Amino acid sequence: MATAPANVESTPLPRPGVRAIVSLIVALHVLAVFVGPWAMPQTSELGANVGRAFQPYLDVLSLGNGYRFFAPEPGPSHLVRFEVTTRDGTLEEGFFPNRAEHWPRLLYHRYFMLSEFVNTLGSAPDTKLADTYARGYAQHLAEEFDGRTVKLYLRRHYVPRTEEVRQGRRLDDKVLYEERLIYTYERD
Amino acid sequence: MAGSVSTAVRDWGREVLAGWNRFWFAAADPATLGLIRILGGAMMLYTHAVWSIGLTDFVGSHGLLPAESVKLLQQDTWAFSYLWWIEGSPVLLWTAHIAALIVFAMLTVGLFTRVTSILALIITLSYVQRLPGALFGLDQVNTMLALYLAVGPSGDAFSLDRWLRGRRVGQTLPVRQSWMANLATRLIQVHMCIVYLFAGMAKLVGMAWWDGTALWMAFGNLEYQSLDMTWMAGFPLLINLMTHVTVAWELSYWALVWPRLSRPIVLALAVPLHMGIAICLGMITFGLAMLIGNLAFVPPWLVRAAVDRILAIFGRGRGGELAASGGEKLKKPSRPQVRSSGSTR
Repeated sequence: MATAPANVESTPLPRPGVRAIVSLIVALHVLAVFVGPWAMPQTSELGANVGRAFQPYLDVLSLGNGYRFFAPEPGPSHLVRFEVTTRDGTLEEGFFPNRAEHWPRLLYHRYFMLSEFVNTLGSAPDTKLADTYARGYAQHLAEEFDGRTVKLYLRRHYVPRTEEVRQGRRLDDKVLYEERLIYTYERD
Repeated sequence: MAGSVSTAVRDWGREVLAGWNRFWFAAADPATLGLIRILGGAMMLYTHAVWSIGLTDFVGSHGLLPAESVKLLQQDTWAFSYLWWIEGSPVLLWTAHIAALIVFAMLTVGLFTRVTSILALIITLSYVQRLPGALFGLDQVNTMLALYLAVGPSGDAFSLDRWLRGRRVGQTLPVRQSWMANLATRLIQVHMCIVYLFAGMAKLVGMAWWDGTALWMAFGNLEYQSLDMTWMAGFPLLINLMTHVTVAWELSYWALVWPRLSRPIVLALAVPLHMGIAICLGMITFGLAMLIGNLAFVPPWLVRAAVDRILAIFGRGRGGELAASGGEKLKKPSRPQVRSSGSTR
């Protein structure tokens, strides 16, 4: 049974002037929180214009998020497979994310997002940004393995339908993977 | 006739204003905010502690995310990160990183909270603005929580600050209700509603959320899987149900989380949804962070009662302010009240 509060102090309500200013700030902030996801592509011309008006605030507070978790739908996942030819001619291979290598799970997820991000960027009409990100990954691998040449492949892993799984298809069945070369880096 | 219309409009305006003031400016017990500080601070600490493992793999001139990539992405934006100034020097980078971890630890225990909450916000934003490409929902929730913990008096409950102040004056401090505690909690609540609204609306574009197969596409994704849920392929109707409930829940959250009747159901559903993501899809941190955000809807009296119960289990009884509730058990208020002035001592 709850007892009556016996040891409580309350700060007074702010003065009307303060309340008005705080109310205005709160209203603008809440509007900005709404505009952040609303102004993300694909949006209307109105959404884009309002988004531009709020952009400094959204950028500084990192509020320009779509919150599109698993949307529009959970699709295939993407991994980056790499081949590094070292200065002595040895071929080093690997991929990320890699459960065996990237632990704890949060670190694995960071690497997972890197591969997903380069896939997302690569699906844009202009691939300059995707290429720049891929070059960053390749340069890092070249440094790590003392590599001369780095080839990056984007490996897409499709999810089988439930009927296929019921008929015995495994989630790692080879037919569910496809791969394409996305970047070749030659070290000077 | 015209007079009665204008009276009705004026009355309506007064009610709206009173409702606005009650919603944002009613004095509130900071217990909920204090609990969010502990859990959110711990999540930020863990998130950044994990960055320690791969810090120089991600940032710096030889990192996976060099300046060339990120600055191209962020051109014409106002993104800011202090990491740009120091990442050229591993010594400076590691010094700042360790200092950041100390700040998060201090925020979690509520030490110098006014300062550490603001520093935690700057640090969280700096890592997020420096590492686009390696981010996901967890970082968005961390940023949101850091922002509102810095806005409100998050150290006014369950904190070392309170405990030390109580020791200095030689008595248990009274529970300090304030409109700022209410404001910060309200902002988290409203922000959570917007997050779920857009999360739900974005799913309406995807056919898999309509044909009921979306959750299978998540559970059957080997790269996400942390618990083998392949057996669910044998229960397509269950997958359909879970998919539709997920969308319905996200779309209706903003409306159903406010009424007292539906709030417990909405919050109860958040637990299996986010714990499912946490356990089955390997995103423990994200699932927990979303649940921490949902805590904003748990009333302070319930938080104090729960903390008291937990402390009793651990044999601490109802200790001082640090322990939990400042020695006072607050009754469930019938309705929040706005007072024009003075205290309610």
